[in-house]
Amino acid sequence: MIYVLYFIVSLICIYTVRHYWFTLNRLFGFQRHPYIDIDTADWPDVTILVAAHNEEKVVANILSALMTVKYPEEKMLVVPVNDRSTDRTREIIDGYVEKFPGRIRPFHRTSGKGGKAAALKDAMELVETEVILIFDADYIPGAGLIKQLVAPFFDPEVGGVMGRVVPMNCGTNLLTRLLDLERSGGYQVDQQARMNLRLVPQHGGTVAGVRLSALKEIGGWDDSTLTEDTDLTYRLLLNGWKTVYQNRSECYEEVPETWQVRIKQIMRWAKGHNQAMVNYTLRLLLGKHRATLRERIDGALLLGVYIMAPITVVGWILALAVFYRGIAPLHGIVAILAVTTYAAIGNLAAFFEIAAAVRLDGSRRRVCLLPFLLLGFTVSIVSVTWAAISQVKDALTGAEFHWDKTERFRKVPS
Amino acid sequence: MSPFSGVAILCLIGAVLFLLPLVPAILELRHKTDALPLTVVQQHAGEIRFFADGFRSYLKGLQPVLELCSKVGETTSGVMPDGTEYIVLAGGDSALQLPRTEPSQACELMIASASDLVLPSDMQFSKDLYAVGSLMGGENDTYRAALAEKDIYLGQGSTVMRWIHAAGKVRVDQGCRLYGRVSSDHGISLNQDCSFLRLNAPFIATDSADVSLETAGVEFAVASGPVPPRTLHDGDLQIPDGQELNGNLVVRGKLEIGDGARIRGSVKSEKELVLGSNVQIQGSLMSSTRIQIGGGCRVHGPVIAEHSMHVQSGTQCGSSQCPTTVSAPQIELEPGVVVWGTLWAREQGKVVRNA
Repeated sequence: MIYVLYFIVSLICIYTVRHYWFTLNRLFGFQRHPYIDIDTADWPDVTILVAAHNEEKVVANILSALMTVKYPEEKMLVVPVNDRSTDRTREIIDGYVEKFPGRIRPFHRTSGKGGKAAALKDAMELVETEVILIFDADYIPGAGLIKQLVAPFFDPEVGGVMGRVVPMNCGTNLLTRLLDLERSGGYQVDQQARMNLRLVPQHGGTVAGVRLSALKEIGGWDDSTLTEDTDLTYRLLLNGWKTVYQNRSECYEEVPETWQVRIKQIMRWAKGHNQAMVNYTLRLLLGKHRATLRERIDGALLLGVYIMAPITVVGWILALAVFYRGIAPLHGIVAILAVTTYAAIGNLAAFFEIAAAVRLDGSRRRVCLLPFLLLGFTVSIVSVTWAAISQVKDALTGAEFHWDKTERFRKVPS
Repeated sequence: MSPFSGVAILCLIGAVLFLLPLVPAILELRHKTDALPLTVVQQHAGEIRFFADGFRSYLKGLQPVLELCSKVGETTSGVMPDGTEYIVLAGGDSALQLPRTEPSQACELMIASASDLVLPSDMQFSKDLYAVGSLMGGENDTYRAALAEKDIYLGQGSTVMRWIHAAGKVRVDQGCRLYGRVSSDHGISLNQDCSFLRLNAPFIATDSADVSLETAGVEFAVASGPVPPRTLHDGDLQIPDGQELNGNLVVRGKLEIGDGARIRGSVKSEKELVLGSNVQIQGSLMSSTRIQIGGGCRVHGPVIAEHSMHVQSGTQCGSSQCPTTVSAPQIELEPGVVVWGTLWAREQGKVVRNA
């Protein structure tokens, strides 16, 4: 029992060091933004896929925004992927098709397998360009975003691109404010540090791009996955393609405004991520492919982020069991020193990362909300643990994954 | 004190200590002093002409004064609505000249000229300048910002702190330091020993570059049909002189491309990338470290180095039909280089003498 606890504590320490490494790199290291200066070029043709499943509340906003971006009109085609919507999504999209002839080619999907990956897979029949950008329907791209996301594809090594997500409804309630802080930490520090350190920036599946030839080489979209973005990141990596992160390519999104929706969202992410972990960890670490050693290690750690929640819970239970059974871990004094050190430094790693991100964003007062993140972390750890348990149960019973669409909170345009 | 009271006080102190960090959090949650979404660059999108366009809009209020001064031939002064003091120089057949002042004197006025504007040497212009015609700077002048509807000439040893934009050409004499944005709707020519950061124009030519030779040799017969497969090479690679390659090339080590080689695709090296002379690249050129481009090369797409870049005489990047971007933290250009589009040195760019 004590050795299992040692193992868990070691894992937690590795993630703690990782948090600090990323944060210190972001604060003091060399920042890589190699493609952001490309503002003049012979821009390639691009197809923009907008995934939309019952998005009547938001789809008009993104289509309007895309019609005003600064990208040569004749080189840009918007494909709204209307995935079996039962609300007014189709009607709204068709209205835009009529209003902007030749610039929007809708893909109305009325049947088939559920899930974003399956919808994108079917929509590929309309894609003829080498560069593909992907947005979820609740995003609102700025004028310069398309050029910024296309620019990295001038690098022939780049297979995928990821931009930064910025919550626009962050001031709604405590949850949205906490999610705003989490997004800051995740993108401003985590993703950019991975970019700086040439590790594995994660493809997020929205505000993102993929190269058609790379996608074909890795076998296209895999509709059996719950998180097609994580799956894509690892398949690109295993095939020698880089995914790059563009911190200054920012795009507004809508974050969940109720805990119920948030829990469903994070449970889906956790299940998808764990699925990728099972599929790729061993192949990534030990397989014969072109990923570098640092990419293998970071990629494996990234795959493990969601499984760390149940592992931590097991660690807590084991620690209590060890205590009540009177087992002395190591020498007592060493254990006390280790626990004290971890309590002083380790527990703060995630908070330090988010505080640094907020600071880098130039925000001031929102950092005061940091203590409330305990609540957010608690909800996440319970939800993610529950997701892992139900995933194991599903695997044993042969139950299929169920796709839960994230509910939107914007008011339906009249 | 009873044991019960002691425990109660201990619990109370514990609760207070636990809740203390939450006080600022609760206050922020209630008052929402920092609850707006982060500002995302939405409209100007980093446009190099953003400040010039803004200044032109700002000057719209001054247009009647400019027209009047031009008509009556008189100089006038005043104060803009934001409190900025200005002087408007009247127009005529000859260029306008500021009165000669003491060397290194600072001019605190915003100057607008209804015609060409000729400036004295050794001056510091701490407010923006505007000329309906051309702007002819003196030697060793320092400019905050300047906009001219025709050409701009910067005299030897001049310094630009924020930006300049010319609807015509920008000509920069020896030893100038361009710290901000320099843009032109026609072209920019840089003399030797000039340093720069961000430039944009239909063409940017370093000392003695011949822009009339622009497309010589860059016309590839563009392969139609499917995109050629990517070639991925681990370790260093040398491409022999005169070799032709079809498709994108990614090299995980150092890449040397021999004289006269032609590549119908883009090239990336994760280490140093060295081009011999007269190499032609149809796509882009990328390096995770340094790029060294030999003389007489032609590169069609963007040229990006993550650390530094040196470009030898006679090389052209982009074309008048397909402008491009050349960018690196440190850039050295020899005389005779032409970049069609954007030239962007994050830390420092310099026009150096031939090696």
